[in-house]
Amino acid sequence: MSDEDAQIMRWLSPLEPNNRHQSVRTERFDGVGDWLLETSEFREWRCNEGGADKAVLFCSGNPGVGKTYLR
Amino acid sequence: MSGKVLSRNLTLLTAGNISSLVIDSLCDQAQEENIAVAGLYCDFLAQQEQTTTNIMGAILKQLVSRGGIPNHVRVAYQKGKMEFGGRGPRLVDLMGMLKITIASIPQVFICLDALDECLPKHIPELLESLRDIVRESLRIRIFLTGRPHVKGDAQRYFSKVVVIPISPNLDDIQNYVETRLDRDLEPEAMSNDLRVDIVRVILEKISDM
Repeated sequence: MSDEDAQIMRWLSPLEPNNRHQSVRTERFDGVGDWLLETSEFREWRCNEGGADKAVLFCSGNPGVGKTYLR
Repeated sequence: MSGKVLSRNLTLLTAGNISSLVIDSLCDQAQEENIAVAGLYCDFLAQQEQTTTNIMGAILKQLVSRGGIPNHVRVAYQKGKMEFGGRGPRLVDLMGMLKITIASIPQVFICLDALDECLPKHIPELLESLRDIVRESLRIRIFLTGRPHVKGDAQRYFSKVVVIPISPNLDDIQNYVETRLDRDLEPEAMSNDLRVDIVRVILEKISDM
């Protein structure tokens, strides 16, 4: 990436979500959550079925389970 | 295993993982299907920095990194750099750039993890911006995770949002606990009875949650 491209990227946002993704995925335990990818809701969402009405999928986590972030 | 350790490990099985799994599974297909994936993990510790402007900017950044920075973004940057010695983009500018960028990509997925970890004052503006993007194109898909208390916020902006409840999956947890026990550094210190008890008690406690 050229210097200017790097500057443009920083100008767009100071956040670097890719870094966080790398650390979360490294910690991920194999197989966990695979069931979600098999649900009909996810598949329909993924395949763009249902059009604009079904554009948004919200996974609601049980409050007893704990926070999302990993440290 | 104390309750604290238990709950810390349980977080390994929840939403952040689900989001990273979804992002990875989408990215696996991104090459062949010509889709773009942007994802962001909201974080209590980064609340001040995670404004709607910065989040939408980060999404744009991920979308443009795919095929090189488009000219309209380059022009906006150069213009911004000259005004007042270099101003950052405003939300309205970023939304304009996002819409132009999205129009050139066949399918766009935006994943936002842990909406509840955003500052409450940021959530309405953030959801409004996402709704604005969704209305722009039929080819946008949004994946959100969050604790149940933000479900109402999501429903306010997306009346037909599809909700999937995530609860601890006992098979996942059993697998996880058994793998951790298999990796124990002193396996001889643990009898089989103790091992069976550990798995049983953990699963019982989780079933009660």
